[in-house]
Amino acid sequence: MSFKKALIVYRKELLELLRDRRTLFATVVLPVIMYPLLFMGFSAIMSRQAGVLEKRGATVAWVDSLSIRNADSGSFSKSIQDNLAKLEYFTVVPAPKALKQLYAEEEIQAIVTLSDSLSKQGLATYKLQVQYDASGERERMIYGKIEKALLATEKAEINRRLVTLKVNPELIKPMVIVPRDTSTAEKKMGSFLGMFLPYIMILTLVAGAATIAADLVAGEKERRTLETLLVSSASRSEIVWGKYLTIFTMAMVNVTINLVSLSFSLRFLMSQSGLETQGLQLPISAFLILLLAMVPLASLFAALLLSISTFSRNMKEARTYEQPIMMVSMLLGMISFVPSIEINNLLALVPVVNISLLFKAVMINEYALSHLLLTIGTTLVLDAIAIWATVKLFNTESVLFRSEDDSNVKISRANKRSFFNPFYGLVYFAIAVLALFYLGGKWQAANLVRGLQMTELALILLPVLIVLRLLKLKPKETLRLKLPRLQEVALVPFIAVSAAVLVTLAAQLINAVFPFPPEYMESMSKIFQQDVSLGMMFLVIAILPGICEEVLFRGFLIRFFGDKARNAVIISALLFAIFHLDPFRFLPVFLLGLLLGYLTVRSGSIINSMLSHAINNGLALLVVTYASQPWLKPLLQDAENFKLWVGLLALPVLATSLWMFHKVTAPKELN
Amino acid sequence: MIAVQALVKEFPKKDGTTFRAVDEVSFEAAHGEIVCLLGVNGAGKTTTMRILSTVFKPQSGKASIEGFDVLTQGDQVRRNLGFLSGDTGLYARLTPREFIHYFGRLYGVQDNAIKRRIEEMSALLDMREFLDKKMEFLSTGMKQKVSIVRSIIHDPPVMIFDEPTAGLDILTARNIIAFIRDCKQRGKCVLFSTHIMREAERLADRVIMIHQGRILTQGSLPSLREESGLTDLDDIFVYYVNQASADAKVEAHEF
Repeated sequence: MSFKKALIVYRKELLELLRDRRTLFATVVLPVIMYPLLFMGFSAIMSRQAGVLEKRGATVAWVDSLSIRNADSGSFSKSIQDNLAKLEYFTVVPAPKALKQLYAEEEIQAIVTLSDSLSKQGLATYKLQVQYDASGERERMIYGKIEKALLATEKAEINRRLVTLKVNPELIKPMVIVPRDTSTAEKKMGSFLGMFLPYIMILTLVAGAATIAADLVAGEKERRTLETLLVSSASRSEIVWGKYLTIFTMAMVNVTINLVSLSFSLRFLMSQSGLETQGLQLPISAFLILLLAMVPLASLFAALLLSISTFSRNMKEARTYEQPIMMVSMLLGMISFVPSIEINNLLALVPVVNISLLFKAVMINEYALSHLLLTIGTTLVLDAIAIWATVKLFNTESVLFRSEDDSNVKISRANKRSFFNPFYGLVYFAIAVLALFYLGGKWQAANLVRGLQMTELALILLPVLIVLRLLKLKPKETLRLKLPRLQEVALVPFIAVSAAVLVTLAAQLINAVFPFPPEYMESMSKIFQQDVSLGMMFLVIAILPGICEEVLFRGFLIRFFGDKARNAVIISALLFAIFHLDPFRFLPVFLLGLLLGYLTVRSGSIINSMLSHAINNGLALLVVTYASQPWLKPLLQDAENFKLWVGLLALPVLATSLWMFHKVTAPKELN
Repeated sequence: MIAVQALVKEFPKKDGTTFRAVDEVSFEAAHGEIVCLLGVNGAGKTTTMRILSTVFKPQSGKASIEGFDVLTQGDQVRRNLGFLSGDTGLYARLTPREFIHYFGRLYGVQDNAIKRRIEEMSALLDMREFLDKKMEFLSTGMKQKVSIVRSIIHDPPVMIFDEPTAGLDILTARNIIAFIRDCKQRGKCVLFSTHIMREAERLADRVIMIHQGRILTQGSLPSLREESGLTDLDDIFVYYVNQASADAKVEAHEF
């Protein structure tokens, strides 16, 4: 591998990209003009709208229904009318005959009625009723102005009364509130920018890199230039490095231009809108730190997207495969919008999230160097892995030349005709999720225990059996309903218990990073606090899910996802995790799904995973029920979580029992 | 020279079995010789040539270019090899000059040498007027000329042409054929593949007939004519295909 040749590739790719008007437009021109247009256009529209609304003014009907008239009330009524009439663009009219109709037709936007009333102590008081339609923006503005005018009148009236009583009006002002804002203009600006800047930056970074990456390998495949490059004396790694550097460079250029353009247009906007610009400087040092933090992220995305491009047959396919990466990074980047989350050492280990939060912290100048280093370090590690994987992919001819193998296409078409193909699998799953969400949710809300029973039996188990019946498939074979051998099944309890302990610990770790909301914890523990016998709880929580959910996921759905056992296990585990409709438990359930899938596929018997599933759920019930018992308490750190050393103990148990399971279930050699 | 020995290439199929695209192929090609791989589409010609140009790795067997092993000495193999196929694309936004410079540099040729060669070849192939036009505006014939110069910019001793005239009009195809002859004149070792019998007849010193990944027969045209007792190359090809399937049937019976 010579870097010189990588540089030759790099220079050529850049040259080509710079000649592509679309790329040039998206990378350079668009960010330069987008922010000014966006901000100025937006602020112009906003201020214009407000101005227009004001100028439209208002017609206010005045109804004086005082029952007692004297000099005081007369002058009070008059001063209110005067104050209202003084409002700019306001017309005050005495209530016309067709008041109701005019109000309904919005010719009159508000009706102010003055009447007299009694206070709680029985003192005479004026009552002012303001009738308006609070759903209209214009009407809300009108009400605001009326309220101000009325309060001004009230103040004048109070003063008048105090003067009559020969009391100094100052007497009723025992205090004044004076806000003194110590935040600097930078900080204000920073906290504002810190909300949405990370998101915009990550979005532009990914979107820009994705377009270029798709072009660089998948595009070369499509245009049939890749082979020429491969037979040249550049090695595959040199080609990968050249292309990777190209994407990386363009992504960084894009990010830099975005940052600069954004800062300029913001500065302009702030000076325009009359915000205090005195001494306001955009935090230039902050931008430099951010640029530095973006370097590994840009590199990571460059490598990831390049590997997708390598895998794809053409650009269209590449763009399709890039979608999930873009979606995930957008969602992760959005974390900066969540007000209470701040970067910590754990979050600094989560890619994209760490950059997003670091951004936020840097913008208000409250970040720790350790966070910056952790963020860069983590991203660099992932980055190295991604680059290594891309080089490896590029060296795998079955990947690089996926379009070549026509026979593959024919076979996959033949597969489509059978019922068990991924498409039907996803459709079935989607229907099941909808049924769970609408029907299951309803049943469980009515009666939790009965609802859970019905869900498991009627929504999860029964449809599978019906479909198998309709298709005349043998449940025993399709679902792998085969008695396991004794040596397998004897290992299952060890696997299940140790895995359950480890999965709970994993969930705790997630809890430490993303704390579960308290309402969530409450709703979870509600399941265990039902007023039914322990036996019934065991049936609902352990036995039924063990049978029904296993039939659906490890028996039925796993059949839809390909001939490669590994893919089928992974996908069915993913679906299993999604099925629980619970983002907080996604990862633990996914891990559990992987294990259960492995147990079934490896041994060819679903009974193993049924048993394991039931033990896993049963253990949770057991822990919650007997948490305070002396024989269990020492193992727990609170009502439902195990202590760390239990996990450390569980790890070798799981490893050993899984290894033995793997050995016991090894396919027999034919001799 | 090219030396191929018992080369095997299999592709995995989705149903878990494998498809044997190249099956125990052996042949040699020397300098100053044009050798033709002749066979219908899907016979294994392209796969063989891709193994020779280090794009694919064989499962078993050996292949070398100028004595360099395709598996272990890929870099030297590619340096000694020019590769041209009928359907290669070009970078639309580059000019021919930039394109040829790009590949020249990748092959490690000095910039001065690249310049000289471009001058020389563009005079020969009459391409001066479009050397600095973007390639998206070039005609097929012009593009093919660019590809020709690209393939020999590093003056390789071995040339491989994969269906070099596929999809080209008669005039452009003639250019290519002239170029292949020229390569032979210069003493290069030339391997080209085609499914057009006439082309093989006109160009090849030796013909290797390949069918379903296997070599049916190989030899000079006169010797093939003599062996089969037929004159037309079409007929000769069909004769060998039939013979191979008859052999297969006999084998099946014996089994």
